[in-house]
Order: sequence, then C-alpha cells, then structure tokens
Amino acid sequence: MPSSASKSVLRYLVSIFVVAVFVFPIAWFALTSIKPISAVFNKDRVVVFDFKPTFDNYRVTVLGGEKENLVGGQSASMGTSGKGAYDGRGSIMSSLIIAVSSTFLATFLALLAAYALSRMKFWGSQGYLNWVLSQRFLPPVAIIIPLVFIFHDLGLRDTHLGIIIAHTLINIPIALLLLKSFFDDVPIEIDQAAMIDGATRFQCFYLVVLPMIRGGIAATAVLCFIFSWTEFILSLFLTNTIRTIPVKITTFVTSTGSEWGYISALGTAAIIPGFIFILLVQNHLVRGLTMGAIKD
Amino acid sequence: MASVKISKLEKQYGAVKVLHSLNLEFADGKFVVLLGPSGCGKSTLLRMIAGLESISSGDVYFDDVRVNDIHSKDRNVAMVFQNYALYAHMSVRKNMAFSMRLKKVDKKIQDEKVAWASSILGLDDYLDRLPKELSGGQRQRVAMGRAIVRDPDVFLFDEPLSNLDAKLRVQMRTEIKDLHQRLKTTTVYVTHDQIEAMTMADEVIIMRDGRIEQSGSPMEIYDRPDNLFVAQFIGSPGMNIIECQVAEDSGVLYAVLDTLCLPLPVNSNVSPGQKIYYGIRPEHLIAAKAPMSFGSSSERLKTESGVVRVVEPTGPEIHVYAKLAGQDVCSISRERIMWAPGDEIFLQPDLQHVHLFDGETQIAL
Repeated sequence: MPSSASKSVLRYLVSIFVVAVFVFPIAWFALTSIKPISAVFNKDRVVVFDFKPTFDNYRVTVLGGEKENLVGGQSASMGTSGKGAYDGRGSIMSSLIIAVSSTFLATFLALLAAYALSRMKFWGSQGYLNWVLSQRFLPPVAIIIPLVFIFHDLGLRDTHLGIIIAHTLINIPIALLLLKSFFDDVPIEIDQAAMIDGATRFQCFYLVVLPMIRGGIAATAVLCFIFSWTEFILSLFLTNTIRTIPVKITTFVTSTGSEWGYISALGTAAIIPGFIFILLVQNHLVRGLTMGAIKD
Repeated sequence: MASVKISKLEKQYGAVKVLHSLNLEFADGKFVVLLGPSGCGKSTLLRMIAGLESISSGDVYFDDVRVNDIHSKDRNVAMVFQNYALYAHMSVRKNMAFSMRLKKVDKKIQDEKVAWASSILGLDDYLDRLPKELSGGQRQRVAMGRAIVRDPDVFLFDEPLSNLDAKLRVQMRTEIKDLHQRLKTTTVYVTHDQIEAMTMADEVIIMRDGRIEQSGSPMEIYDRPDNLFVAQFIGSPGMNIIECQVAEDSGVLYAVLDTLCLPLPVNSNVSPGQKIYYGIRPEHLIAAKAPMSFGSSSERLKTESGVVRVVEPTGPEIHVYAKLAGQDVCSISRERIMWAPGDEIFLQPDLQHVHLFDGETQIAL
C-alpha cells in the first residue's frame, strides 16, 4: 500500500495533468493572439515562446485599427477584405446586447413559471413540464428554416430583438427546469408561514422565496448568458449585418486563408465579458442560502 | 382572541377520506392539544383551521364567523411550524417584524413589539443575527416570536418541539405553557408526543384515522380512557394490557390467561366466558420480592409471580419489565428495591385502578 505522502504527490500530479489538458487549448489560443504573423505561420517549426509579442491583432479586432498601417507596409495579412472587415467592436456590442437581454428575459420569464410549477397544484402541470423539456430535444438547427421564414415575415430578421427572442426561447426550458429545482428546495412551509403572516402570493414570491434562491438565479443566469454568448447557428441564419462574435469570427476564415491572429485575438477578448459576468454573480453562486430557515 | 368551532368537517384527497365529519369546539383562551399517531389527520385539521388546506365539506368558525372562504392571510391566526420555516435571508428582527411590515404598521410600534417579544423569549442579543447563526432552540423561539407579535386570534402549533433535543424540549414546553398563561390566546397544538399533550393541555383531543377517539382534560383521559387505543396511547411506559377471558370460581370472577389468574374489581360489568382486555398502568402494578399478604381473607386478592427481564432506574422511579405468564408487563415503583434480570418478582394489580375493555369492541367496560 502506498504511503499517504506518495499518494498525495500522485494526486497532485494527476490534477496538474487534468488541469493542463483543459487549459492548454485556451492558453494556446491566447498565446496565438499575441504572436506576430511570422510566428503563427512559421512553416519550419512550431513557435511556442520565442517571438516578440505584439498587440496588433487586438488593435485591429477590438479597437478597430487599420490592418495595413500596423505592419509597416509589409504584406502581413493574407485577406483582401474591405476596410473594417476585421473590426469586432460592433460584434462585441451586439453580443453584449443580445446576451444580456436574452439572459434577463429568459431568467425573468422562467422564474415566474418555475414558481408556479413548484408551488401551485393545477391540472396538467407535470405534462406541461415535460412538454417544456421536450422543447430541448430538437437541436436548434432543426427549426432554423421555419424560424428564418417566420422571423422574416415578422420583420425580426437581422434585428437584435429577433436574436434576443430566439435565444430566450432556447434558454427558457433549461432555466425553467433549473429554477424549479431551486424553488423545490425551499420548503413550502416558508410560503405558508409568509401567507399566514399576511403576505399575498406575489409577496411570498418576491419578498420571501426569491431572495432565498439568489444563488440558483445567479447560476441560471450564468448558463443562459454563456449559451447566448457562444451561440452560433441561430445567429448565423437570422442575421446579415448584425454579427455576434462567434459569427464574426467565422468571417475571418476567408477564401484566401484563415486569419489565426485575428481569430484568436477576438476569441480571447470574447472570453473576458463572460468572465466578468461570472465574477459579478459568483458571490451569489454559493449553496446554502436557505440555511437556517428550517431544521437541517 | 377567539373561540374555534368545527362543524362536520371533512377532508378528502381523491377517494381517500382523511377526516371524517369532525365536530369540535375550542373555548376562547383554551390550550387544546390534538394528539395522535402520525397519519391520524391532526396536522391536516390544524392546516384547515389555518386556511392552508381546502375544506372538502363542513365549516370552521372563529367566534361565530364562518372562515371557510377567508384566505389564511386574513384569518389573523399565527402558526409555528415543525421545521420553523424562518425567512433565512432576514435577520431575527426582520423575521419577527415581517407581518407588521406587510401591514405597514408604524416603524416605532414595530420596534416596540419586536423588543417586547424578544424580551419574553430571551432573544434580545440575537436580533441582528441571521437564522443560520442560531441554535435550534433559538430558531424555534424566533418562530414563536414571529407568531406572538401578531396578537393573533388563534395560535397554531404544528409539532413545534419535535426537532429539539430532549432537554430543550422540556424547557420549551414550559415556556410555551407560560406564554399561553400570560397571553391567554386560544391555542391549538398538534403533537404525537403524549407527554407534551399531558403536560400542556387544558383539553386533549385524541385522534386516530381521521376520527376523534376521545377528548377531555389530560387527567380525565389518563384516568378514564374510553377505549383500548386511548388507554395504550396515553401514558409512558404504556398501560399493561393482557388479553384474557373471564372465568368464575365459586361465585367470584377472575380474568384468566393460561396459568395467569387476575383479580377483577368488584361490580365489574363482565360475565363468565367474555373475552376482555385487562389493563393496568405500570404504577398500579405493585411489585414485591416475596408474595404479598393483604391481610384479607378474600381469595380474590392473589399475587402472581413472574421473572424480571429488564430494569430501568430513572432516578425517582424504577421501571421493572417482567414476564408474567408469557406476557410482557411493566411495573413502576418509587421504592428502591434492587432488581436483577432473572429475579423472581411478585406482582399485584391495584384493583381500584384496573381498566377493562371489551374483547370485541375494545370499548371500556
């Protein structure tokens, strides 16, 4: 039997390995974003660290700089797209508007529905829940063609509102199920105590139960946000001019080559808002908010 | 304060009837305990009084006002739940003031009431803590504080002490009774613990399977149980029950089971051959190390001998569990006789306290 010291060394080695496997692609991606084009496209060897870091890729994609001016007349880029083709600022703004709005909408609507499904007994509630869940059985791509036609007829195609609605629809089922399970964790006696204290049903909901599942709401919002932030196929089909970040990045793959520098720069930059959002809500991402309400 | 009247109250879940046409009246200011094993419908009844459970048929009145269709929030009842049901995100102060905040009571009055309740309940030092920072007993007190600041017409308690440890339970029992004596609010208290019922109630209502088995003052119920169920349910350790048959020997009646021959009280309403349950409370089963002499010529007084199985000294009393002709019986005595398992024990029922129940109907004879 191995000693406890060697066991813990082994445990560390395994965890370092696992973390390395997961972090490597992101790290490589981020590293690529600060490599000069000569290092990205070195035909002879893989350049890992021996390059002169440059922020040109960020200047073009995130700050909207002109790509020709940055590399001192050298033909550094292969693409021949027009001016501003690599400017990701509009995409970041669109993605933010869409992700924040659809996250808010999906969470808000799902909260109301989840509370009702968790607390009120009505005919068909279980069937309704199953039906809601079934809405996630289909991959979004399966409904894309009818959706494009419907959105076109409604004038929602290529609008922020259109994608916000689409993302909200996709997010509601999962948000509803998640939130319902959080509501279910709050004992019904809490609602009843509040009602006996004189609260209406709605006061029970927003004064008592809602604050007790803050953590669950935060977790749900993070999930919705990440989905919307990274969603590709719906955004691709439903827009022409509004480009969310994932769609925008695909345009960097051109007929003449892939702009790995710009792809990795915008991709790395795109991680940041999600990261900030999670940092903001992570204070609430703790279990045990109902602690003390009941005898555990 | 209000009296509570329940008339032909029924509760049905689909085809299952959990309450069968109950009629009850709780006088204003009384402490009433609903007692029964789990599943007997006592909590359902309480929740129907609170308005948390719909009424299948029948009526509930507070004073003479029918409250069937009045929402919980407008019934002016206060309820303490088994699991406390505190608002975990609010401080003790906010928990207690919640009902007043909803009614938009003046802030100054809110503070006064909270201070009053917290001083009664000994929570002064904890007002700004969250429930999770309190012990079980303190949480229970917060739940009670939340109830008493309301000046409710009726207090409802749903097994409020069952989550506390034994010592705290005894302490809280006294506190609740003391509180009731001070506030004199009509109180309905649900429990499955007969000691709680005995110690706290003005009136005990014993329920089984959605029906009322007996109601009355604790001592009435203890001394004169209407039926076998009540006799067995009340008392700890429980009443000794021996299923036997009435036999006659030279004009005197005995209760007989195999070799066991138990004396019957004079004027017992039984006849030879009748199947009966012979009940005697442990404290009325007198134990001795040697056959007892009763100084009476009557043959009816006879000591039975058995074997000691288990001895439980509780301090003031000694509980002796013995086998008597194959039957398990318990005797409680305050005398410090040293028993050991295997000892021969002589037992004699105190004839004044024998309870007889019909073998068929299980009703007291």
